[in-house]
Amino acid sequence: MSQLLSEVLDVTFRTLYISGLATVLSILWSLPAAYLLSFRQRAGLLEAVVESLVGIPTTLLGLLLFMLFSSSGILGFLKLLYTPQAILIGQSILVTPILISTSYRVLREVVSPYFELALSLGASKIQAMAMILRESVAGIIASIIMSFSRAVGELGVAMMVGGNIKGFTRVLTTAIALGVTRGEFEAAIILGVILLALTISTAIAVKVLMRLMRS
Amino acid sequence: MITIELRGIWHRYPGISNWALKDISATFSSGKLILVSGHNGSGKTTLLKIAALLYRPWHGEIIVEGCNFWKMNEAEKIKIRRKITYVHEKPILLRGSVFENVAYSIRIRGVDRCDATEKAESIMEELELIKLSDKSAKELSAGQSQLVAIARALVADPELILLDEPFAHLDTRKSKLLSQALKVRRKNGVGIVFASHSRGKLPEDLEPDEVIVLEEGQIISKY
Repeated sequence: MSQLLSEVLDVTFRTLYISGLATVLSILWSLPAAYLLSFRQRAGLLEAVVESLVGIPTTLLGLLLFMLFSSSGILGFLKLLYTPQAILIGQSILVTPILISTSYRVLREVVSPYFELALSLGASKIQAMAMILRESVAGIIASIIMSFSRAVGELGVAMMVGGNIKGFTRVLTTAIALGVTRGEFEAAIILGVILLALTISTAIAVKVLMRLMRS
Repeated sequence: MITIELRGIWHRYPGISNWALKDISATFSSGKLILVSGHNGSGKTTLLKIAALLYRPWHGEIIVEGCNFWKMNEAEKIKIRRKITYVHEKPILLRGSVFENVAYSIRIRGVDRCDATEKAESIMEELELIKLSDKSAKELSAGQSQLVAIARALVADPELILLDEPFAHLDTRKSKLLSQALKVRRKNGVGIVFASHSRGKLPEDLEPDEVIVLEEGQIISKY
């Protein structure tokens, strides 16, 4: 029992670590991209491309990354296949469209009026940007939560480039898939409940944090 | 003392073929009270935003302190913009309290917290907003929001203030307060530009030095 618990904890912490880091990594390019996109008068085509990528099948992305990271692939020399880093890169790419798309929708409503307001009060461009981010923080945090949930819940990338190696690249989704394959439904259900609880509690924690910040 | 000279300004909005402003030439400067009048859609707001250096016109020049504003570098633009403030007809307030909103304009100018508090409180006293100081800006009525936005503009001691329909949401008491505050600024040499449907919307004690009448983006009379 204690071994099962320690395995569950190990898988859970690895999932949190990889998906959390992948989301943070994606923020680095997704938020600036969304910010720049929100200033464009005609962003229809770009918006459509990004939105269509939101639903990219994780197995397809996993396959593409597998081909890149495999020993005969372009990035094979990096020896990333079947490592946590490969999952991290894959998940950060996976959540990029959703993060850009959802934060763009938030920023699009805020950028124009608040940028104008900031300039009219004598703000510099950096001060204007700070104002815009401050005003859209709730929406952006919601986008980040959605992206994190997508990363935590994906299977294709983690399975294909992570390889589901026990104690190394096994995460909640791959562990559930393995449990079902082996007919270990009890363990799979426990892991499924943890996965669900994880995403819900993250959302609640952030909401509470934001309320505290506001008060 | 600041003078903004608009020379042959043409402006239109992206995706719209009609010109919002056609060949506008006008001068706005410190110490003068100008009323920009016209019907809805005549181009009043666009003209004020161009004069407030918020919109870059499609054609024409804006001369400020002898130079073309849109050819200045970023630091010079900020320096000029800090002498002017513009208040929209439907003001946008920031998250946070009334005090935070009013103090914002001076905080971004690097004024320290103590001085910023003193100045913000003084202007809030003047416009009778002090009781609302800790109230969330999102909980205010339209008239209160308008006054807070104007207080936020005035607190920075601008040399030129452009107000789009400033009395639209104000009751008699608040109109008097604002009118009094603007009279004091006018006496101190601040330039004031109003946009309004008609002259009748302005309080009687704020007699404009000049009236610019717009129709379909063109100046049809100046007197």
